[in-house]
Amino acid sequence: MTRKISKGRQWVDMVKIKKASNLGVTFSKRCAGLFKKASELCTLCGAEIVIVIFSPDGKNVFSFGHPSVETLVERFLGRNLPPPNNDVHNQQIVARKEASIHELNTKLMNLEGVLQMEKNRGESLREIRKRSDVVWWESPIEELNLFQLQHLKKALEILKKEVEKEAQMVNNNAFPFQTLGSAWTPPNCAR
Amino acid sequence: MTRKKVKLAFITNDSARKATFKKRKKGLMKKVSELSTLCGIEACAIIYSPYDTSPEVWPNTMGAQRVLAEFKRMPEMEQSKKMVNQESFIRQRIAKASEQLKKQSKENREKEMTEVMYQGLTGKGLQNLNLGDLNDLGWVIDQNLKEVYKRIEAVKKGASTSSSSSAAAAAAAASQAVAPPMEQKPAVVELGLDPMQRTQTEWFTDWMNSNTSDQHIGYGHADEMILPNFNDNHNANVWPNNFYP
Repeated sequence: MTRKISKGRQWVDMVKIKKASNLGVTFSKRCAGLFKKASELCTLCGAEIVIVIFSPDGKNVFSFGHPSVETLVERFLGRNLPPPNNDVHNQQIVARKEASIHELNTKLMNLEGVLQMEKNRGESLREIRKRSDVVWWESPIEELNLFQLQHLKKALEILKKEVEKEAQMVNNNAFPFQTLGSAWTPPNCAR
Repeated sequence: MTRKKVKLAFITNDSARKATFKKRKKGLMKKVSELSTLCGIEACAIIYSPYDTSPEVWPNTMGAQRVLAEFKRMPEMEQSKKMVNQESFIRQRIAKASEQLKKQSKENREKEMTEVMYQGLTGKGLQNLNLGDLNDLGWVIDQNLKEVYKRIEAVKKGASTSSSSSAAAAAAAASQAVAPPMEQKPAVVELGLDPMQRTQTEWFTDWMNSNTSDQHIGYGHADEMILPNFNDNHNANVWPNNFYP
């Protein structure tokens, strides 16, 4: 399986993208990135933001709003008064929401950290494979002739049996009392 | 631009927070503008902050009102379909990252166990593996066996390989030459932990290594390669004359 290598960051002309497929991809990525930036601005500086975006095919509308799209749209269009936020009850609600958002952000950051570590591990595993490709049985199967294939088949089958044998042994060592039955009954348990 | 990793929490320092707000607000507006231009779409952004009584708006008040009017004209369901707030947005990102992590971990595990499998084929022991490792290793071996079986069937059926047809013909010839000897020497490929068999494992390893480049080796040649060769003229000088009749 050949791995797709992305082009990385590229300068773009500030004109409408011509190729439809590129436009679609750009839209998705930039929309997600925009919402991410808005979310960060809300958390970092306590701003209240609403963003409304129509999709290129006109079929969908993407919107982000903190605290919510509806309240901010109503506020902007002048249909309700600015939020009364000085009573204790309201403050408690807001505080609880902020706490849960903070928790979610922490969870997300940790997750992304672990993901990056796994990606790095994948990269180093790929490097190891690239450097070790000198023996014929590690080549892609399509490159082997029938003789090699049959030899490899036998070797793998034997290795498989070895693995099963080893697994049996490990299993037996882990549960030494299986055959002695009542080794764990209360009278035998030292407490 | 300095690239310090910013902690995603409310900035308590007032002046730092105000400075960050100014910078990021500008950046956000720029991004909305770019998105609108590049993709030729209608959009609006409205930012309320404790620093201004009136909100910052892109593209402008009139433009935003127009976009929002169009937005509200859509059926409720369409409006809500792709609507998010901070909580739901972050949850979405968590879900996406989890999926990616699962996929990447599985991929890494497969790669790791493939390395172990290759080492196993050269006779390296399986002692340091726990039950989980052994299970995954067994799975990887099974996957590879499936591919090998499939490939053997395909080659036998005379399906065209990626290399030239002469290779396929040679493979067919080689398989015919090889079939009988294979039955006579089943011990050749034993990969056991028995000391006696481990020597045979080394034999197997050497044999596999010696056939790296040549694809048309039959068993006869293999014997010549491994066993000491007493017909070498160089050695004849070493042995006393009465060894040779």
